[in-house]
Amino acid sequence: MRKPDPSVRIAVTGAGIICAIGRNKAEVWRSIVGGQDGIGKLTRFPGETFPTELAAEVAADVRAIVRGRAAKRLSRTDMLAIIAAGEAIAQAGEVSPVSKERAVVATGTSTGGLLEGESFFSHRLIHGRRRAPASRVLQQPTSGPSDAVARAFDLGGGVVSNATACASAGGAIGMAADYLRAGHADVGVAGGSDALCRLTYSGFNVLQAVDPHPCAPFSEGRQGITLGEGAAYLVLERWDDAVSRGAVILAELCGYGATCDAYHATAPAEDGRGAEAAMRRAMSEASVSGVDYVNAHGTGTLLNDSAETKAIIAALGTATPVSSSKSYFGHTLGAAGAVEAVVSILALQAQLAPPTLRLERPAPDCTLDYIPCTPRPMEIRTVLSNTFGFGGSNVSLLFRAAGQVRHPIR
Amino acid sequence: MASRVAITGIGVIAPGAIGIGEFREMLARGEGAVADIDRFDTAGLSAHRAALVRGFNPRTYIAPMKLRRMNVLSRLAVSAAKLALEDAAPIDPSTAGVSLGTAFGPVQTSIDYLSEYFEKGPSLAPPQLFAESVANAPASHMAIEWKLRGFNVTVTQRESSALAAAMYAAAQILKGAASSALIGGVEEVSEMLFSVFDRIGALAHGEGEAARPFDARRNGIVLGEGAAILVASGSPSGRVYGHLSGFGISRDRTASLSDWGSDHGAVIRAMQGAVADAGLQPSEIDAVYASANSSVRGDRLEYRAIQELFETRIPVVAVKGYFGEYAAAGGLQLAAALVALDEQALHASAGFESGEPEMRLDMVRERRPAVLRHILVNSLSAGGGVVSAIVSREAA
Repeated sequence: MRKPDPSVRIAVTGAGIICAIGRNKAEVWRSIVGGQDGIGKLTRFPGETFPTELAAEVAADVRAIVRGRAAKRLSRTDMLAIIAAGEAIAQAGEVSPVSKERAVVATGTSTGGLLEGESFFSHRLIHGRRRAPASRVLQQPTSGPSDAVARAFDLGGGVVSNATACASAGGAIGMAADYLRAGHADVGVAGGSDALCRLTYSGFNVLQAVDPHPCAPFSEGRQGITLGEGAAYLVLERWDDAVSRGAVILAELCGYGATCDAYHATAPAEDGRGAEAAMRRAMSEASVSGVDYVNAHGTGTLLNDSAETKAIIAALGTATPVSSSKSYFGHTLGAAGAVEAVVSILALQAQLAPPTLRLERPAPDCTLDYIPCTPRPMEIRTVLSNTFGFGGSNVSLLFRAAGQVRHPIR
Repeated sequence: MASRVAITGIGVIAPGAIGIGEFREMLARGEGAVADIDRFDTAGLSAHRAALVRGFNPRTYIAPMKLRRMNVLSRLAVSAAKLALEDAAPIDPSTAGVSLGTAFGPVQTSIDYLSEYFEKGPSLAPPQLFAESVANAPASHMAIEWKLRGFNVTVTQRESSALAAAMYAAAQILKGAASSALIGGVEEVSEMLFSVFDRIGALAHGEGEAARPFDARRNGIVLGEGAAILVASGSPSGRVYGHLSGFGISRDRTASLSDWGSDHGAVIRAMQGAVADAGLQPSEIDAVYASANSSVRGDRLEYRAIQELFETRIPVVAVKGYFGEYAAAGGLQLAAALVALDEQALHASAGFESGEPEMRLDMVRERRPAVLRHILVNSLSAGGGVVSAIVSREAA
């Protein structure tokens, strides 16, 4: 069996994103530079009341954007995925019929089409099982977004879905990179997608993990997350393939680390050791001993921000600037690893680190440089993007700027 | 760094078999565990049978305090993992990963949560059910139970879930990201899933309702459940069932969402990919443990692909007549192929009598001894995804 060849470098040749602060990379980056968050009053479930009432919703009419691609049978999560993957694939450029057949789709999602499943289920509760429209529930499985993206773009290299809660998309991107390194596929369309649904919106509320105010990661008054939704995808290719077809390389994906706290079903280990190990593994895979910027998981919960700070100090020391983009678009759950990977790549390209909004006073247990409130121009050669999830799953991805690595680094 | 991935332990909580010993016996007897459903009412539906786990008492395996926090899937997976770890030589938990497959995962837990949500209101839904509503809850409980601190991943790719999960774990072990892993899958049959499959006409129905993989009379799948957990190790000590030695992945570009396509070439590509990954030629494969699940079109795609790639009339075993489709998300099929390697005998294809005229496969009808070095295991999923694996007696 071929093992993933560590000498094969992975190029990012396309990136796409949709979330509460924009329908594509340009809109998202404009919001980031302008300090505009996408958090507002929840509108998705009219007539239902929750203990908190904020969300970072995608305002765009996603069905109108996807229109013409059999949108009828797609879940909202599928449609978000198709929009983001479409942007990524368009940027990567025309792929030949051969590479379409060798393009694998890997998606991380936490709840897939559960939003539509919920409608089906409530209909069924009221009207009985025979009258509920069964076709609605077919797109509920978490395999939906990968299948939908592969079908929409006619890709034949395989489909895989990773449903590892909030660490899903980071893992899917790591999987795709290893497929390329082992020669199982030539192109990876990898990312994540999750639409807001009742289960997660109410679930985090009953866990008392939601901040009644817009989330304020690492700050003194932080009370929890703001729930968001969105999707993002990367197009990955082996470096030499990308160079030989003349593709524009956005960044290099040079490290993937995945670990588990093995501690608690929903809470992170307080010492952050699992997260530290994931960051160390990503750095070891990239053969680096430090990075210039960390795009943190930074959910805004008391436990995460404290444990993640400890993990970053243990893995990197106290000098590396850190920020949480969730202060802009909330916690996009299963999509977070991909959404934040795209933001990290945009930061590499712009040489500008996104800030942590609303960080007026850092908490006593949050002692790092969190880039408060305003974006910071700085030299960013490498960025580490963290995502952690329920069950103590930790994933770190490490990206390197494309510009400085024209020649292979040993 | 590991140069091979050995399977050193197997734990199953299967329809008709609890533990690897009973599983071997069930396969040797050649009789499946499909039976009338007594867990929920099937009145008004076309189908009435499934392969359900019976006689499983999770208290045998899990402490009561922990049990309370686990849904059915977590109980099945943790119990099967316990059996697998008892079956295997010890592993180092600090560098052990978990990679499970589940096709539909915690559908029932989500329903239980949403029932309370719709009944009592969004603020009063039970937090414990929410914690168990994520697909990776079983894998997380396994990590917590044995302090497994390597990667922790849950793959959800319908019928291909367990093989795709094994493929991921094997890559991580080979590249040195983990020393070993618990792999496999878990699934449960719920009333919701059953009635939806029934409504779309996907289930076997009518007289003698049964799973009949590759048989001319097949008219739909039979749902199955259970957990199969395998210990995969990069530096095995003690007994070895076999090795994971190759994987291939593809997708049928003619497939629409949730349905079968018509291009059996995609199945050939996945099988060829797995054979090449193992450094073999098709002529060196001794048998196929097929994906065939008794669906009219899915089975046709697969037999066309097998007979085109393996012109030598390779022996083919279909095992979903024993435990249905989605059983341990494909993990039981993988376990059956490893048992075949271990016993050097091919199992009878339960439920198969005779195929369509076009089908020329050498179906194994009675258990028979065979020299087995390499077995190809297929998984075709609705929506077009295909994952194939090679399991080998010796490390490549």
